[in-house]
Amino acid sequence: MSAAGERRVVVTGMGVVAPNGLGVEEFWRSCLNGISGIKPLRRFPTEDLPISVAGEVADFQAEAYLERKFVQRTDRMTHFACVAVAEALRHARLDLALEDPRRVGTVIANTLGGVEFVIRQIEALYTQGPRAMSAYTAIAWLQVSNVGQVSLSYGLQGYCKTPVSDTAGGLEAMAVAANAIRRGVADVVLAGGSEALLHPFFLLVFGQSGLSAPGRDPRAYRPFDRRAAGLILAEGAGICVLEEYEHARLRRAPIYGEILGSGSTNDARAPFSSSSDGTYYARAIRLALQDAHLRPADISYVNLDGRAEVQADRAEASALREVFGAYTEDLPVSVPRTMIGHSYAAAGALDTITTLLALRNRQIPPVLNCEQPEPLHQLNLVRERAQPFAGSHALIGGRGICGSNVALVVGRGAE
Amino acid sequence: MSEQPRHRVVITGLGVIAPNGNGQQEFWRACVEGRSGVRQITRFDAGFLPVRIAGEVPSFPARDFGLSEQEIEVLDRSTQFVVAAAHLALQDGGLLSPPDKLTASFDRDNCGVAIGTAMGPVGEGERLWRLFTRSGKQPPAYPASGVNLATLLLSSMPATAIAMHYQLHGPSTVIATGCSAGADAIGQAFWNIQEGRATSMLAGGCDSSINPSSINVFSVMRALSTRNAEPERASRPYDRLRDGFVMSEGAAVLLLEDREGALERGATIYAELLAFVSNSNAYHMTALPPDGSPLQDLLRQAMTEAGITPRQLGYINSHGSSTPSNEPAETAAYKAVFGEYAYRIPISATKSMIGHAQGAASAIEAVVTALALHHQILPPTINQEQADPLCDLDYVPNVARPASFQVALSHSSGFGGVNTALVLARPEFLATQEKEGEI
Repeated sequence: MSAAGERRVVVTGMGVVAPNGLGVEEFWRSCLNGISGIKPLRRFPTEDLPISVAGEVADFQAEAYLERKFVQRTDRMTHFACVAVAEALRHARLDLALEDPRRVGTVIANTLGGVEFVIRQIEALYTQGPRAMSAYTAIAWLQVSNVGQVSLSYGLQGYCKTPVSDTAGGLEAMAVAANAIRRGVADVVLAGGSEALLHPFFLLVFGQSGLSAPGRDPRAYRPFDRRAAGLILAEGAGICVLEEYEHARLRRAPIYGEILGSGSTNDARAPFSSSSDGTYYARAIRLALQDAHLRPADISYVNLDGRAEVQADRAEASALREVFGAYTEDLPVSVPRTMIGHSYAAAGALDTITTLLALRNRQIPPVLNCEQPEPLHQLNLVRERAQPFAGSHALIGGRGICGSNVALVVGRGAE
Repeated sequence: MSEQPRHRVVITGLGVIAPNGNGQQEFWRACVEGRSGVRQITRFDAGFLPVRIAGEVPSFPARDFGLSEQEIEVLDRSTQFVVAAAHLALQDGGLLSPPDKLTASFDRDNCGVAIGTAMGPVGEGERLWRLFTRSGKQPPAYPASGVNLATLLLSSMPATAIAMHYQLHGPSTVIATGCSAGADAIGQAFWNIQEGRATSMLAGGCDSSINPSSINVFSVMRALSTRNAEPERASRPYDRLRDGFVMSEGAAVLLLEDREGALERGATIYAELLAFVSNSNAYHMTALPPDGSPLQDLLRQAMTEAGITPRQLGYINSHGSSTPSNEPAETAAYKAVFGEYAYRIPISATKSMIGHAQGAASAIEAVVTALALHHQILPPTINQEQADPLCDLDYVPNVARPASFQVALSHSSGFGGVNTALVLARPEFLATQEKEGEI
């Protein structure tokens, strides 16, 4: 579908650290079978917290993958990122020794930085004095640590960025990385998002935001359901190896799909204000389709943002209607994120991976917990059980809490 | 993106909030006069810390910059800075009717926002942690009052606050690549316009991290100057007696426009953006190797991308952070790339006057570079007293001077090992190039 002479961007490797699966294989099996990773939190006591269930990567032992010293000097978000990167590189069968390191880049989104690491250090400062703070704090805590440590670990000297677009960051990372490859500044970019925000301090704050589903029910994340009352948080990382098509073809790399286009807009409305207006979200989708040289009818699956807030869900449904018209009622859509929880900057990256796997395996993973779909939305939701499909192009939608909208169009891969 | 010709991008408005001046005029006067904005810390009692100096923005009348009472209440200090800088940039670009209204014909759907920040609302995070735990004396508990959710939860606020304030619906993003974040945001914005994703962008950076944990984080790394008794002399890039960077705060926003649109509306053009290049050290999280090799690559790439020769490069605004290891590496890179000609390129470090404003630094430096081109004046590197034999180039020591030049480069290196450069030219540069080509 691309214009002549254009550099195409394919996905040649994927890596996942998610609550419902460590590694792509386990993750995909869970997604297909509707297995959720949302459970009562185990890493710390939750009696005094407003949030006690989340998508926690519970059995993750960083030392099993990374050097002990490295683990101690970096935050959990960086551990996730590094493990996902290692898997993605392995899948891509990319021998970095054969690559020009200046043509290999890294774009990893993150939102909260190394919360766990920095709070420990702030505590040390106030309870034990200035000298008790670790000299590694700055590099462990800043959002840029993830790309910095990955570049350092693998000797990658190319284009390197850290988008911070709260809940849409991971999707934006895919768009930014793909555009860099198209433009010609890199041949390979490790792109995705990583987030480790499940910390008591953050949960205390988030619990007050009105975005979080109340109570202790792990099935309470119900987008597009009548009872939609908020999302459930998660942690994790998703990384894709994005590669210029000719570069991938020449080295006979496995091709898991193609990034065809992206669009980005901003609602420019007050944060935390809910709105059922999907005008600028629709515009982002149209821009993405235009960028991909596709028509709405070419899209056969949409992986939705699914905030699980009445107005936001309505806005998403109305944006789809604005773009897809009458076809909306037939267009299969779902929110596989209901099996993971909302992992902020990792979410868009994991959504991209579920969508690529859906195209490849011709199965749409379902939205869970939507037993009573709100009829107003008039969506063709793939609920509870995966559903086969045969399309070649899919769309992923992501919305920031602050009003940013990102849409990404992906394909089955270069024919 | 199809293979359409790329749009040309020009800088048509500048907004700055800096320790030595707010607004491009006041700030530029301070830079040309070599005035330092570094002082004793007043924002908190720094008596218990080994570092007690910083570049604070001494006066910030937020209302004068168009901020509403609600924005002043809700937004953290760095975000207030950047909304103010956006106001100043739009005003400077002739797009605001007083006091703060965008002209009716402005295309808000195709104007985006890209802001770089290194630290985010970290001061607010620290304040909340102290509030929740009574400074570590109790397990965290949600307090009865004093919490403002937006700042901590919404890391993309710096861009969104601007988008919200002026109802801008184009692509908006926040980039957090440490000390090069501002330049990275400007670069991404430049690409957005070049590739047709926006027709104008407000782009820049902001940070305000003069709080105990941020100061101490860098202090325990021994990255900060401890010249507490002489704040104005503490930031001294290239000088033999430099002993670390000075933390500072501020914001800068540039109004970038598609050149055709800017010409059509008769905008004042400060400079044209010719290139944005960026790479990663893959050497160390916080330092360049002694030969500055990644910076060498970056400079070469920047010149290729901009289509210029070293002899056309009339000025470099350097990263010049005042750390013992940075400046010799920078100097080595200049010599490796430019050879003997390196001695003839004037180089100056804005951080000598305002310290290191983290994610804002490289955006403020882009403003300085645009103003230097516009006014044909080279701002100085102050505090040059004792020459370091490893740093023997022309750093425009202590006193500004006039110069006649067409092209300038601004570069920055930051945490995580990211290096970024922007190449700017006078608005007529490409036209004169073409003419010479014809002859």
